[in-house]
Amino acid sequence: MAEVLNNENQKSENILEVRNLRKCFPLKKTMTGKVTQELVAVDDVSFTLKAGETLGIVGESGCGKTTLGRTILKLHKSSGGKIIFDGVDITDLKPKQMREIRKQMQIIFQDPYSSLPPRSTVGGILSEPVSVHKIVPKGEVKDYVLDLMEKCGLRDYYYERYPHEFSGGQRQRICIARALSVKPKLVICDEPVSALDVSIQAQIINLLKQLQKDMNLTYVFISHDLSVVKFISDKIGVMYLGSMVEFGTKEDIFANPLHPYTQALFSAIPQPDPDLKMNRIILKGDIPSPANPPKGCRFHTRCPYATDKCKEEVPEYKDYGNGHFVACHLLQK
Amino acid sequence: MSKIKNANRLTGKEVRAIAKQNKKIIRKLEAYKNRKAEETEYLGHMSKPENILEIDNLHTYFFTEQGVVKAVNGVSFDIPKNTTVGVVGESGCGKSVTSMSVMRLIQGPTGQIYSGSIRFNAKLDNGETKVYDIAKMPMDDIHKIRGNQIAMIFQEPMTSLNPVFTIGQQLDEVTFINHPEATKEDAKAKSLEMLDLVGIAMPERVYDAYPHELSGGMRQRVMISMALASDPRLIIADEPTTALDVTIQAQILDLLRDLKTRIDGSIMLITHDLGIIAEMADYVVVMYAGRVIEKGPVSEIFHNPLHPYTIGLQKSKPTLNSDSDTLFNIPGNVPNPVNMPNHCYFKERCGKCIGKCSGEYPQMFEVTPNHFVACHLYGKEDQNG
Repeated sequence: MAEVLNNENQKSENILEVRNLRKCFPLKKTMTGKVTQELVAVDDVSFTLKAGETLGIVGESGCGKTTLGRTILKLHKSSGGKIIFDGVDITDLKPKQMREIRKQMQIIFQDPYSSLPPRSTVGGILSEPVSVHKIVPKGEVKDYVLDLMEKCGLRDYYYERYPHEFSGGQRQRICIARALSVKPKLVICDEPVSALDVSIQAQIINLLKQLQKDMNLTYVFISHDLSVVKFISDKIGVMYLGSMVEFGTKEDIFANPLHPYTQALFSAIPQPDPDLKMNRIILKGDIPSPANPPKGCRFHTRCPYATDKCKEEVPEYKDYGNGHFVACHLLQK
Repeated sequence: MSKIKNANRLTGKEVRAIAKQNKKIIRKLEAYKNRKAEETEYLGHMSKPENILEIDNLHTYFFTEQGVVKAVNGVSFDIPKNTTVGVVGESGCGKSVTSMSVMRLIQGPTGQIYSGSIRFNAKLDNGETKVYDIAKMPMDDIHKIRGNQIAMIFQEPMTSLNPVFTIGQQLDEVTFINHPEATKEDAKAKSLEMLDLVGIAMPERVYDAYPHELSGGMRQRVMISMALASDPRLIIADEPTTALDVTIQAQILDLLRDLKTRIDGSIMLITHDLGIIAEMADYVVVMYAGRVIEKGPVSEIFHNPLHPYTIGLQKSKPTLNSDSDTLFNIPGNVPNPVNMPNHCYFKERCGKCIGKCSGEYPQMFEVTPNHFVACHLYGKEDQNG
């Protein structure tokens, strides 16, 4: 095992700690392989997460929320910063050392149609991780898988069926069962309900909540749907163009959104109530290209309150009490 | 562990028998579609003069190798002048197929309008109005309506624009088709006016741009301007904001609302998002498994929903204002579209079933004025929908 941090308290409290995480993708290279232009997908993101909690990450497409999730899992190599999982710094672990950790962190992908192998049965899909990681003795694998299927709301005769025979909601249940088959501590849910219908969405969200209670799981729940995130999360992080603009507990963020982008994002959601007349903040323009982000505060091109300072200086990501972090010049007075 | 026979699997013999049957029906329907006909053959009458579109008992079927999929199975609703009618339902409920039927864009030979009528109140160039039955029109005459009287905004602005022509070329084409005598300058002036109307800041620059140079929101604006270029009486917006981000969605919805007051026309808005419906629509049609299960004015549908499915749908969506711990969910899945049961399609998932539900499919009952529901719970013996 790699170096275990000395601080034992930290180990029991925080299951995941991300410090100044950066991820850049090279856009242009010279002939010698030197990167001349790069896209900063995740820029200087920090947060901590306690065991059993759910962190919701919201943002529009291209804001780096999926990249953040994948970088935490080390599916992408990070370009800077630290990821501390369960007291262990996993940032620079070798692939062989990562294998032990992989058991404890899993991912559920967005599209249940393309994330299941079409040529193996449900039983095969679910038993493979169990036997690879030797979760239970060889003879008990099938019973273990059937038990897991029952927990995830799958009938036992589905064991020998193939993924194409199932609807979207059931496939997502298979994906959830697969992620949970290795008894993970942390599950990254990358838009798990976006591809599903409303009535099926509710089933999957309730299942995820139930499983969290039963197995004491920690979720990082990535979604663009704020109402779903509000429902499932304890803490919420709002991302814009690669950086975290606001982070805090659900209550703080929803009762008192401080960043102008968070305020606009909340007011943009159509509410299913025809009599509700909202003072909608409609943002002008489009999201700038992440390959060429604006100078200073990244939101200044669309911000209704932007000042000259916003165009020059990057605002500091600061705590405004009770772990409510905001990066905005307006508050720093 | 018990093995249960998979009901979805067909033998080769069954598949061949289905194919033979389908071939016969498709040939008849295709011949009807491609016939030459006098205009008088497809003229009709509106049941109410203020309506712009009346869909009456429409059946659109897909003749597949697995059997007949009744994607739209007896849908009826009206679109009055200057209103927004929202059609809401989950994927596969037939909302898009309904709109495609109105545009006659159903992909043949598999997909066919089987029966029913779609009456459209068309306004001709000389000012007089004529009522066409779109379902009976031969394909050769459909250009009288499609694209100029009824325009459509598609779901994916990324794939609906032609990548090898500039925005200007594609917009000008609309003017040239509707007014063949127009000069290049006229067409350009009209296109720029349309781009300006949808709130594009630099119309001149967008006019010369190719679709890939624009962002998703801009492309959707271009699609909307293209739909408006022919001064349509009815705009069908099929999930116009599903592919866009929330903040961009707010911009586009704001634009659509603004446009309805400016152009003298109606909008048929198709979406799965109840929030958008609440905000945009005047009248709501709820569909489930190819049928309309409830329709009514927007305030009725949201404050006094009657059908168990509508109630469930509203409860299963988490909202920003609710604080419950578990979400209400409708158990089960939508029934298999090939073998639809004879009783109410929602029976298996419904928590309020009564004895009558195992009987015939319920009729439409008018509960309060203009608020209809297809559910046995509200039916009276003397009423027939």
